Amino acid sequence: MRTDLYILSSAAVSPQESFELKDRYENIREYQGTKLTCIEPDYKNILDPKLIRRMSRVIRMGAATALQCMKSANRLEVDGIITGTAYGCLEDTITFLNRMVGNKEEMLTPTAFIQSTHNTVAAQIALLLKCNAYNNTFVQKSFSFEAALTDAVLLSREMENCVILTGAVDELTETSHAIISRFNKYRENVVSSKMCESPAAGTMAGEGAAFFLLSNQNHSGAIARLDGMSMLYDPGKIEDRKYWLNTFLDENDSRREDIGLILVGRNGDSSHDQLYPELESVFSPLANCFTYKNFCGEYPTSTSFAMWMATETIRTGTLPLYNQPFNLQDEKKKILLLSSDIHGHNSAFLLSSC
Amino acid sequence: MHDLKVQIIAQLNLQDLTPEDIGDDQALFVEGLGLDSIDALELIVLLQQQYKIKLSNAEEGPKVFRSVRTMAEYITAHQPKA
Repeated sequence: MRTDLYILSSAAVSPQESFELKDRYENIREYQGTKLTCIEPDYKNILDPKLIRRMSRVIRMGAATALQCMKSANRLEVDGIITGTAYGCLEDTITFLNRMVGNKEEMLTPTAFIQSTHNTVAAQIALLLKCNAYNNTFVQKSFSFEAALTDAVLLSREMENCVILTGAVDELTETSHAIISRFNKYRENVVSSKMCESPAAGTMAGEGAAFFLLSNQNHSGAIARLDGMSMLYDPGKIEDRKYWLNTFLDENDSRREDIGLILVGRNGDSSHDQLYPELESVFSPLANCFTYKNFCGEYPTSTSFAMWMATETIRTGTLPLYNQPFNLQDEKKKILLLSSDIHGHNSAFLLSSC
Repeated sequence: MHDLKVQIIAQLNLQDLTPEDIGDDQALFVEGLGLDSIDALELIVLLQQQYKIKLSNAEEGPKVFRSVRTMAEYITAHQPKA
């Protein structure tokens, strides 16, 4: 699908120091063990303390990231707020369910219940911005962010010169980590920076929030352009994936040699990563491939972190956290994001400078 | 009343407040502590959980929850005998 959306600003809370905009993101936070957890900003500087007391961690992460995104673009109003989340507000859900069991379904307090629904983050952002415009949340497993972006594209086709705040958020809790660990999805004794270099059974868990201010018009100060996006659900053979990828590039009038940088969703799990060599071979040896899950961990909406990395690469001319210069504007090259979730479903994004 | 203030702070997650910050006669809602309708529900649950008092008449709410002192008086008057 051609998206033709301009990215006016971006913001991210992640396991790296990504919240404050920088020209170079040099400090890499290393994690040892089974998970990477977010480095959170001081929310008291961003959110009203009276509101913070009701917000669980994922809501704070999402709301603060959205406000930071608005601040970066010097905007106070938007024409729509669209979020994607696979897990929603897990912490509040767990709190509410535990109280239900503990109190024998009596004397249940309202706050955890009210804040436990998946659309809480988008609703809180709307309240903070006093925004009565379109508000929607997509819960589509690892395609949640892609579904939110798809909705942003459709909304942008209905309105002239619109600005839409779109993002994704997913949290990792002690309970969710313990449950997923039972399926042997995570491996131990690995360092995050090395997890993609030495594939073995299992990966490291992650979490994060990333938001983007998107418009169908090229405003002054726009950072990048999201040219296209595609999803491939439950592909059978590797040939089908290669065909899908080639078709995606053709639909976006892009040749292999137009791609200057590829961010791939390898997560260090050998059974998962075996998909990538064939897909990367489509571009070999033309483009440089870099991984991103070694910085954010594996979580369903991690493609939003990859899109933040791509946007920041275009804005700063340097690939964040790798400190690798990429002057895509002069060379008229594009960035391809290529991801596969733990079930093998694929998504691809194409970004360029504007 | 100190204990009640501690319970209110914990129930409503008033992270930046200490019991000393809440006056005995300070209004809990609107211009006082700035609590709202969701907090009112939390306070009703607090009465049930901590003191086994069920606020059956909703019209009593504004009077009972006017301040920490009115809450304490209501608890003293209605707490079941051990």
